[in-house]
Amino acid sequence: MLSIKDLSVAVDTKQILKGLSLDVPAGEVHAIMGPNGAGKSTLGYALAGRPNYEIKGGSVDFNGVDLLDKDVHERAAAGLYLSFQYPLEIPGVPALTFLRTALNAQKKLRGETEMSAPDFLKRVREVAKTLKIDMDMLKRPLNVGFSGGEKKRMEVLQMALLEPKFLILDETDSGLDIDALKVVSDGVNALRSPDRGMLVITHYQRLLDHIKPDRVHVLVAGRIVRSGGPELALELEAHGYDQYLGEAA
Amino acid sequence: MTLPALDIFDPSSYPTRRDEEWKYSDLSRVLREAPKKAMVVRTLSELEAEPDGFVYFSADEAGFDGLQQAADFAMRKSHGRLYIDGNDFGDEDGYLGYQGRGEINLAAGQELVVFEDYTGAFDYAVHSHLRFALAEGAKLTRVVILDEPESAVSVRQSTIETAPGSVFKQYVFSTGAKFQRFETHVNHAGHGAVVEMNGAYLLKDKRHFDLTTRVNHAEIDGETAQLIKGLVKDTATGVFQGHILVEKGADGTDARMRHQALILNDGAHIRAKPELEIYADDVQCAHGNTIGALDEEALFFSMSRGIPEETARAMLTHAFVLPVADQIEDEVLRETVLNFLENASEGMKEERANAL
Repeated sequence: MLSIKDLSVAVDTKQILKGLSLDVPAGEVHAIMGPNGAGKSTLGYALAGRPNYEIKGGSVDFNGVDLLDKDVHERAAAGLYLSFQYPLEIPGVPALTFLRTALNAQKKLRGETEMSAPDFLKRVREVAKTLKIDMDMLKRPLNVGFSGGEKKRMEVLQMALLEPKFLILDETDSGLDIDALKVVSDGVNALRSPDRGMLVITHYQRLLDHIKPDRVHVLVAGRIVRSGGPELALELEAHGYDQYLGEAA
Repeated sequence: MTLPALDIFDPSSYPTRRDEEWKYSDLSRVLREAPKKAMVVRTLSELEAEPDGFVYFSADEAGFDGLQQAADFAMRKSHGRLYIDGNDFGDEDGYLGYQGRGEINLAAGQELVVFEDYTGAFDYAVHSHLRFALAEGAKLTRVVILDEPESAVSVRQSTIETAPGSVFKQYVFSTGAKFQRFETHVNHAGHGAVVEMNGAYLLKDKRHFDLTTRVNHAEIDGETAQLIKGLVKDTATGVFQGHILVEKGADGTDARMRHQALILNDGAHIRAKPELEIYADDVQCAHGNTIGALDEEALFFSMSRGIPEETARAMLTHAFVLPVADQIEDEVLRETVLNFLENASEGMKEERANAL
């Protein structure tokens, strides 16, 4: 589904990713763990197409299309969804307006019929209910004045509505208390399916208790230095990243 | 409060850059000679309440003669809603000039909503001065749309006198012109009077807009709140000069001034001069002035959800100026302004040749 080969990325002329390779087949959840500054968030941003993230080499194949060749919004329409560690506030744009604009822009690009306002509202109501999001909150400007937990629930709401084929969760657990973490991970787990892949980027093992990965990769200094099963996360929690820092240097 | 005498037909009266108050807007440079006097047909239109509840007053036919009668009629017949249609027609060879003065006095407790709609065509130069005097407890809401052609030269000045317990709310929306200046002078001399002066400008091409406000707090417990938002692109220039003076003894004054502007590409300019001058002791005053670019993070975030860049830019810039319009209480006027802003935002989207 997502196949990254030898990816090198520079930000402001500083090389962050140095030949990263990774395959995530459909139906699997992979975790990327690593110390601060290893390039975890850079990987998510580069895949989403953030400006100023310069691709120095390598390729990314997403369901047979060259992902790196596409504009940011085209990648979204192709089914890629990056959940931000710190979701942005969009003053003046009600969450409902933002969501409908995004959904219909994607549908339009894919040549699908755009969703009518009543159908859209009906769908939003269903999803919001499961995530314990009040409809009044959706009439407010997106994320403006929302708590950390509310912003993350809004992220999950967007995933559920946009129905992407592939999810990248960047430090989704940051800023969440235990209750919010449960609501958010239940929402994410509900989206697990045989034809959807996920990449969970996290510094701590905690999130992986809730969203159980099929594979765990250790990212250090711009490369994957080790891959293994879910037990690798526990090992990292016990021993830290120190053992890999020497290897990478 | 006296304004410097400006006569649009006398070039020697034009302010220049050497006048501190006109440093960023040099009238003598854009209007090198006096415009030809426009033939004004002095026929006052019959006053009638329109179906939308406004009394219609045409400022182009009669200057501002009869403005007070129109306002009185509006307060008797249409729940106090007056529509001033300022539609100036110019010439295609050389500027045609208009100059007018008008005055509205509100008696104690009277309420009036004035919608001033300034449009026009071809080359004209206009100077107007309106005076609004509010008696005790009177309430005036003024919604102004400046939708002028790119060749227009316009200077619109106004003076507002408050009285105890009176409320003055002003909303100004502009797309600029070759030279456009909108001045408001408030004599905040009423105990506990409330003043709100908000506005938004969206400028493109070579357009110039200057919003100058001056508020003198002379009595205790006066309030002033000001929110001005601006967007400039291409080689347009936005000027904001806000001055709030709190005189000695005007204790309990609460004055807040905010100006927030976005520069959408290199080459566009904002000149901002927010000033607070305070001689009283027990006051709450604040001013904020922020000038920046469109939030690239918010732009990327929106695009990452599937919204194309141009749509995302238009959505975010439109959203930026929207809060100003949202405060307008009159529903018809709020809708009118929202439409105007939507069209203006669309206009800002076109021909983004200079950006990137």
